[in-house]
Amino acid sequence: MTASRGAGAFRPVVLVPHLIALGLYTLAAALALAPFAGLRPAPRALGLGVPLLGLAAHVIGVARLTSFLGVAPTLSMLALFLVALQAASEGLFRASAVGVFTGPLATGLLGLALLIGLAPEGPPASGRGAWSILHITVSVFGLAMLALAFIAAALYLLQFRELKAKRFGPVFRLFPPLERLDQLNHLALVLGFPTVTLGVLLGFGVRYAGGASVDAAQVVWGMLTWVVLGWAVGVRVVRHWAGRRAAFASIASFAAVLLVYVALKLAAPGTQRFL
Amino acid sequence: MSITVLGVNHRTAPLEVRERFAHEPREVPASLARVLAAGARGGVLLSTCNRTEFYLAEPDEAVPEAVWAILSERLGGGRSASEYGYTRRDRDAVRHLYRVSAGLDAMILGESQIQGQVRDAWETSKAQAGPVLHRLFQSALLVGARVRSETGLATGAASAPSAAVAVAARIFTRLAGRSALILGAGDMAELAATCLASEGVRVTLVANRTYERARAIAEQLGARALTLDEAWEHFTHADIVLTSTAAPHAVVTWDRVAPAVARRQGRPLCILDLGMPRDVEPAVAQLENVFLYDIDDLQAVAAQAAAERRDDIPAAERIVGEEVERFWAWYGGLVVVPVLKEFRERLDQVRAAELERALRRLSHLSPDDRGEIEHFSHTLLNKFLHQPTIALKEAAQAGRGYGMLEALKRLFGLERRDDP
Repeated sequence: MTASRGAGAFRPVVLVPHLIALGLYTLAAALALAPFAGLRPAPRALGLGVPLLGLAAHVIGVARLTSFLGVAPTLSMLALFLVALQAASEGLFRASAVGVFTGPLATGLLGLALLIGLAPEGPPASGRGAWSILHITVSVFGLAMLALAFIAAALYLLQFRELKAKRFGPVFRLFPPLERLDQLNHLALVLGFPTVTLGVLLGFGVRYAGGASVDAAQVVWGMLTWVVLGWAVGVRVVRHWAGRRAAFASIASFAAVLLVYVALKLAAPGTQRFL
Repeated sequence: MSITVLGVNHRTAPLEVRERFAHEPREVPASLARVLAAGARGGVLLSTCNRTEFYLAEPDEAVPEAVWAILSERLGGGRSASEYGYTRRDRDAVRHLYRVSAGLDAMILGESQIQGQVRDAWETSKAQAGPVLHRLFQSALLVGARVRSETGLATGAASAPSAAVAVAARIFTRLAGRSALILGAGDMAELAATCLASEGVRVTLVANRTYERARAIAEQLGARALTLDEAWEHFTHADIVLTSTAAPHAVVTWDRVAPAVARRQGRPLCILDLGMPRDVEPAVAQLENVFLYDIDDLQAVAAQAAAERRDDIPAAERIVGEEVERFWAWYGGLVVVPVLKEFRERLDQVRAAELERALRRLSHLSPDDRGEIEHFSHTLLNKFLHQPTIALKEAAQAGRGYGMLEALKRLFGLERRDDP
């Protein structure tokens, strides 16, 4: 996931849909958080409809991007996939509480992307566009899945704590059942891991095909992260971990991804490349 | 003439205290006998997980002391039960029972289970209740039914058994197809099992101290019967365990169930302890993926549903108020009749004695004249009694007869008890 600098400024066709999406995501986040502030929960149609409208606007905005390279487009896509997964979780698992995390997170990521600057910073190198897009899309989608697994695990632990402590407040009433959160975590982790793996392999392929070298630190740390993620999936699938232990494993693996990313970005700062 | 209730409830005493006061049905007659021996015309003991209340007809001054002594003995440790208690008299006592029966005084507003518990208390105490309390409890059941049919106070899942379903639904994705194990043969467990079964939960095992009782319930629920000792190993496979034994101490202990729970591979286990006293050792809740809830917890959950029923409180209170006045009118009228009869007899004795004395002095009168004088005395007495009789009956109808009756008894020295 690399980008090259160049001319370019905010274009309305990119900016306006992104701003609309940002507004709708903010509203969706507010709707998701409102019941925890003692307000009446929004109707399900509204809770699902607002982020979906934002998602539609966001898809239009992302489709108008001339380059997917760089931190800002990646963050924008991550926000898009998070909202898409939020809607899927609500639709398939009735896990509307996922929006408590994904709502503010997607809003923050999209806002950050806009602050960094979504306009193309230069033309993509010829011949790599399709594979780069595939690599970025698959990687970011995998990352969003891992984030969803993390969110489901966090929700699980919160609900677990409330149930154990016999507190029957908003978390008890508004969060999905423990078992459903466990299933969501399992599914997101099991799908997210191979997706991220595929995305990373595509990235290596794109780099080698383009004759670009891959930083040794990225390879080493990337492998270590992959091993941690693989362990989290392994204990679930092979050793049949479930519940709290599996939630902790999922959180640990996602934390490893984040830490390694932050460490690598600190080592090589800049917004031209996502990694 | 008076009706008094003395007791403790969930507002005045914590669960640990209330469970000490709780009476088994077989213990009720003995406790009531002690209270009645202290001087009361009738008694009913209402003992549930939320309250232990003695309803008493015409209690003497020594009766409250007897009630608190019984409860203090159960409390132990030299503590006085009266610290947790309350007393309501006359109309307030009637209103209290009506509110209890209607679910207005329940931990879960509008809870319907109390209706059956009031009926059970009445049935259990029937031999010692006396006519006034018979009538009071009969009417309390009617008031409860009226409130539930005419208001929305009973809508929603606000009872402990339905709260059990709500809690289980926060643990499991789907309740349909889950397996439940029932320990004990208590009514609450049976009710909760019925609620869970309506959600598709399969009651697969019923265990009880006595195998025969377990078999009887198991047959009703289409389950297999076990003895308690056989039940522990099934904690590995059951999703939900309902307990409601009559044991005086915890039967589900860490030692008994921890090995079975360890084999669950992280699957959650929901234990609903509906027993009073509690059947499950609190330490069991520390086991990984075990979620233990006792009756207080479930009632807290159900209390949330009750919050939605608050709009119906004024209508329910209005019905209770109407019915209290109706009962009190009946009660007042009930005691007016014998007092009026005695009042009339007493005055008639005076009339007859004075007539006889007068006629002795007027021996020269003809029989017709004597008859006329006797008729005059009757008429005069009737004229004198007419207005007080009407006033007293009207006051009784309006529920104000009690005070006038007391005044009448004092003014005319009527000593006879106003037994209904």
